[in-house]
Amino acid sequence: MDTLNLLWEGFGTALTPANLLYAAIGVLLGTAIGVLPGIGPAMAVALLLPVTYALAPTSAFIMFAGIYYGGMFGGSTTSILLNTPGETAAVVTAIEGNPMARKGRGAQALAAAAIGHFVGGLIGTILLVVLAPTVASLAVDIGAPDYFAIMVLAFIAVTSVLGKSRVRGFASLLIGLTIGLIGLDEMTGQQRLTFGSLHLADGIDVVIVAVGLFAVGESLWVAAHLRHGQTKPIPVGRPWLGREDLRRAWKPWLRGPLIGFPFGAIPAGGAEIPTFLSYVTEKRLSKHRQEFGKGAIEGVAGPEATASASAAGTLVSMLTLGLPTTAVAAVMLAAFQQYGIQPGPLLFEREPGLVWGLIASLFVGTVLLLVLNLPLAPVWARLLRIPRPYLYAGILFFASVGAYAVSGQVLDLLLLFVIGLLGFAMRRFGLPVLPAIIAVILGPAAEQQMRRALQLSDGSLTGLVNTPFSIAVYVVVLALLLWPVLRRLLPGRPGATAPAAGDTDPAGTDPAGTDRSGSIDEERTRENASR
Amino acid sequence: MSTNTSGTSGTTPTDPGTEPGTGVSADTPAAAGGGPPRWLRGRSELGVCVLLFGLGLLVLFDAITIHTDFAQRGPVGPQAVPVLVGGLLLVVSLLLARDVLRGGHGEIEGGEDIDLSEPSDWRTVLLLAGAFLANAALIGVVGFPLSGAILFWGAAYALGSRNYVRDPLVAAGLSILTFLVFNNLLGVSLPGGPLMGVL
Amino acid sequence: MRLRNWLAVLGALLAVLLVPPLVTSGTGTEDQAQIGNLRILVPNQPGGGYDITARTAAKAMDDAKLTSNVEVFNLPGAGGTVGLGRIVSERGDGRLLMSMGLGVVGSVYTNKSPSSLQDTTPIAKLIEEPDIVVVAKDSPYQSLGQLVEAWKANPGAVPVGGGSSPGGPDHLAPMLMAKAVGLAPKSVNYVPYDGGGELLAAVLGGKVAFGVSGIGEYRDQIQAGELRVLAATSANRIEGVDAPTLSEAGVDVKFSNWRGIVAPPGLTPAERDRLVKLIADLHDSAQWKEALAKNGWSDAFAGGDEFASFLSAENDRVASVLSDLGLA
Repeated sequence: MDTLNLLWEGFGTALTPANLLYAAIGVLLGTAIGVLPGIGPAMAVALLLPVTYALAPTSAFIMFAGIYYGGMFGGSTTSILLNTPGETAAVVTAIEGNPMARKGRGAQALAAAAIGHFVGGLIGTILLVVLAPTVASLAVDIGAPDYFAIMVLAFIAVTSVLGKSRVRGFASLLIGLTIGLIGLDEMTGQQRLTFGSLHLADGIDVVIVAVGLFAVGESLWVAAHLRHGQTKPIPVGRPWLGREDLRRAWKPWLRGPLIGFPFGAIPAGGAEIPTFLSYVTEKRLSKHRQEFGKGAIEGVAGPEATASASAAGTLVSMLTLGLPTTAVAAVMLAAFQQYGIQPGPLLFEREPGLVWGLIASLFVGTVLLLVLNLPLAPVWARLLRIPRPYLYAGILFFASVGAYAVSGQVLDLLLLFVIGLLGFAMRRFGLPVLPAIIAVILGPAAEQQMRRALQLSDGSLTGLVNTPFSIAVYVVVLALLLWPVLRRLLPGRPGATAPAAGDTDPAGTDPAGTDRSGSIDEERTRENASR
Repeated sequence: MSTNTSGTSGTTPTDPGTEPGTGVSADTPAAAGGGPPRWLRGRSELGVCVLLFGLGLLVLFDAITIHTDFAQRGPVGPQAVPVLVGGLLLVVSLLLARDVLRGGHGEIEGGEDIDLSEPSDWRTVLLLAGAFLANAALIGVVGFPLSGAILFWGAAYALGSRNYVRDPLVAAGLSILTFLVFNNLLGVSLPGGPLMGVL
Repeated sequence: MRLRNWLAVLGALLAVLLVPPLVTSGTGTEDQAQIGNLRILVPNQPGGGYDITARTAAKAMDDAKLTSNVEVFNLPGAGGTVGLGRIVSERGDGRLLMSMGLGVVGSVYTNKSPSSLQDTTPIAKLIEEPDIVVVAKDSPYQSLGQLVEAWKANPGAVPVGGGSSPGGPDHLAPMLMAKAVGLAPKSVNYVPYDGGGELLAAVLGGKVAFGVSGIGEYRDQIQAGELRVLAATSANRIEGVDAPTLSEAGVDVKFSNWRGIVAPPGLTPAERDRLVKLIADLHDSAQWKEALAKNGWSDAFAGGDEFASFLSAENDRVASVLSDLGLA
């Protein structure tokens, strides 16, 4: 086993005391910066790039791996505790994580996230070692029609998160799609719903939408109905995961990586769509569906493991194809180039020491992340014991910092406020918030892939179904749509309930998505007109 | 998008979600005003329908004003999706109106810190919004450390904190710390205030 | 009690006003040869192309003792035109620069920006990167001639991918090529991808007939034989790449993506010359040469008037392509 030998040597590199220290520093720095509002892992890596200039390449990349994984986990921490996701991959985590924290189960949510990251990272990295060449060659075969098919599947899945009233769920979905339309049309550069404002030409960042709807909307809503008099402090609860929690979380932890890894590996994959698919899957499969939306641990465990595995998947295409599929990968690619190293098909031959050292350090990083953060979970969770006025003031403060720090524009603060008001109104009138956010993520990606597919086929509609993969996905979609009808036809099952759409098995399917993280895209995109 | 139609069909008569005890009507501006005709009472959600309808019109209007005299490949141009979204907004606004008129209600969101038994406390909301907007208005003038502290203190004050010693000091500490982390450690510059460069 | 309240408020106020400047002011020494308190505006986000250029240049300037404490700040939005608007509004500020490039030229048109690069004071062009015309190894096109033939026969069936939205460098290059071979730009089936990486996958997977993008991410794949370069868009051949230039292959186009530096309008000639000299000194410094090598950038320095006329020529070229397409 040549690979194992190389990996073994890689561990030799990664486990030297100095490199172990760099990995630990990376994990800590990454977590600390990931906790900061508005700064996701991509920006964390970009901002810490200068710190590593003085290091040898191997040490620098070992530190990056730590920053990357640490940054992703840090983003989830604010999602869970403050309802302010620092990056798009952590948006889904807020949905169950924050209610858990408010119920006094913050430590459990954080632990579920930490272990989820550990399991996701571990499985993802193992898959990286085993499958890298295979996945890389498959990844380039995935094209626009396949992405669009996956998006259609995702839209079907959306119907299962529409909440109790479907018409209100759809209203929310359409509001989100409308927000997603704002900005320059990526295919033709035409302005849509920008009203001539340059500031809207790039569209509204998903993170601003998410933070506005979740954090600002929630704060205003609480302000309107603050429980006066005796507010009992949020109980801290038991510090560790109980047996019941573990029983409910282990399957999501294992399922997540299967969804996340393939998405990370394909171009235009990213972590948003797989985390959301993981959430929907867990909701479908859970025996505790009624708890979803109120703090179900499955809804934290699954998406977190998914996000982490997708990060590992990202490295597959970056290392073997030189193809950055997410913003972080793009930044890491730039970092590689700083050292005169070009990731790509020849990297494994040319720099085996560095690559295997990096891969081994990914294992080390995931372990460190767990070791460092699991004990810290109860400590973080105590953050919620601070008095309510400070808690919500802090949430608003950090939401504002996050919106302002990156762009330095007051308009982003106003946008945040307007979206916060929208979130307030949606709470007041019983429109679920989640479909809107999902639509902001899915809508633009789906439109772009559909139009790209049609353009590649030069306008022929067959361009949407000209791959075996896309046909397979549409068959699944049809089956899902027809399932309620079929079920009603089956004898002995009267009164079949609402369509079972969304009861998907995304582990079997895989790719889709587009990185709308909006933070740091690939260098070229930036330079280009519009976006 | 094919799901949209399939989903909306089974909606109206249902909505078991509304708990009778949530005090919806007590909270609605329509009920508070006392003026509107009886059938409008407790139906403030119709306002949502009007807004959605207006939004749909806006999206449609914006879509048809997109120029199409530029190079365009493929049968689907930049207008198609906005037209679809705008059209569906109109449809959903009508369906929602039907639902509301038949007595449907959205389930007002509850939560740990939320007490729905009392009417909305608009004063707190306005104060909070004021603190937020003050930050937006002042950040360029007085710098982030001061405006951020005003935001924090103002928000804490709005939400009922009245410790005039601890509140400003916590606000200032948090604001300065955040500024230093972003500005000095990360190189993300935030406006430092009028004294930057003077001292 | 009341006194304590006021003291607390006063203490907080003093702290927020005084601490940040005191902690960030640094040394503040400015000797005659240096330009102090220089600021560089980056019109995209941290980590983007203009950002890396600006931060690298700032570090090299400080290290070469040309300046002290250059501050780099980001004002992203609308393909760089939000930052452009800011520069144009800071009329007469001789201590402010903006890093920019060809992408901003196109963005001015696609975003219908009210301010244009003609309103700024051009300082210098720093670096450039040629685009390449590239196909997968199993593509039927062995030479640019074959590709152009097929392209002219049925432009719709020969989709070209690029890593930019309309108006960006990868979009302009194939449009200029189309014009040169007598194809109406409107008939070109241009498919935009999110950056060179995503495009690379589409080229490797044969989703597009050919791709046009910067050489950066593609070198390794070219060397590994996964990709075939049909032509380089630059005036000269690219070192280490066995492909003709467009002109050699019979398509009369010279095109490179570039990055440079501009300053606000309304500078006195002395102020302008001081900034041009600063960037020229930067260009001559050992630190900058090292940074160029480290980043794999090609030096393409052109200062002052030379850059000004280059910028206006680029502007005209972009405007004519985009107006052919109905985008400007």
